[in-house]
Amino acid sequence: MRDVILLMVSATLVNNVVLARFLGLCSFMGVTTKVDTAVGMGMATTFVITVSSMGDWALEAFLLAPYDLGYLRTVTFILVIAAAVQFTEMVIRKVSPALFRTLGIYLPLITTNCAVLGVALLLVEGRFGFVESTLFAFASSLGYSLVMVVFAGLRERIALAEVPPLMAGPPIGFITAGLLALAFMGFSGISAN
Amino acid sequence: MTGPEPDEPGSGLESVARVVALEGGVPWLEPEPKASCGGCLSLAACGAKGGGRRALAARRFPLAGAPALRVGERVVVGLPEGAVLRASATAYAVPLLLMVGAGITARGLGAGDGAGALAMLGGLAAGLLIARIIAGLLLGRGDLSPRYLRRVVEGGACSRD
Repeated sequence: MRDVILLMVSATLVNNVVLARFLGLCSFMGVTTKVDTAVGMGMATTFVITVSSMGDWALEAFLLAPYDLGYLRTVTFILVIAAAVQFTEMVIRKVSPALFRTLGIYLPLITTNCAVLGVALLLVEGRFGFVESTLFAFASSLGYSLVMVVFAGLRERIALAEVPPLMAGPPIGFITAGLLALAFMGFSGISAN
Repeated sequence: MTGPEPDEPGSGLESVARVVALEGGVPWLEPEPKASCGGCLSLAACGAKGGGRRALAARRFPLAGAPALRVGERVVVGLPEGAVLRASATAYAVPLLLMVGAGITARGLGAGDGAGALAMLGGLAAGLLIARIIAGLLLGRGDLSPRYLRRVVEGGACSRD
């Protein structure tokens, strides 16, 4: 159990998908102008990454690795991610059409989020079992959501501040993202202890 | 003791939608697609668009409490503050937490990959069932319904009615 907790903390904070591996930067800069949109995108991405990781693990374990088809990995995983997005869309539409109308806009956009593919490829490197693989994917995507929400909160505060005109908008956003990445580097000390 | 005040429309998310039909005096709207990255100069090449024609048609919604609107008119609609948070927590967090909880429990009990997968799928199914119940409650309270904010004036500033 200790191993599982360490794996999850490491994936969420120490090897954060956005600030340590620099994946998913498009949505990190584009969807973080409001906390609400960041939460919506973060949770949708978390769901899709976790669900698609289950399919990725199964295909890797039963098809790609045994038949030495590693060269098809990227294409296969992209297909699984697209299928996971469609599956999520269908399930949410069935569960509640109102929920689907509120959140549906985020779902097709996740297919183009490189963080989803990045986590899937990291799972292969990790050589985990099914449960560990899914928990790793969940923790990685939780790290993505955490950073999205924190950054959105910072940007909402910056929007109220008097920023010099030349620095307003993306420039101050990039500086804030850099400072946030520096702050997250502090978590790398956890692994040494 | 009174409950919390309802959120002010307009204080939350705003989006532009187009009136596509009028049924019994109630306008049906279709949201305009947006890109996840907010859009940049290479948007046309990167494919980060908000879905095709069929996907948009599936997101049509009725708009109660709006002034008289014509088909083709563009309006700004809004969700109350916290609506996306509540909807996301219901649709994604509940099923995911139950699925992960089931996986951790199975792992703690020494289950293998097959039993762990079954436990997680069971947790996911239970979570979706609970999400359906919570979504029904939210819908009953009107927490998930978009509200009319204002008309979009083509080529000018948005007007407030």
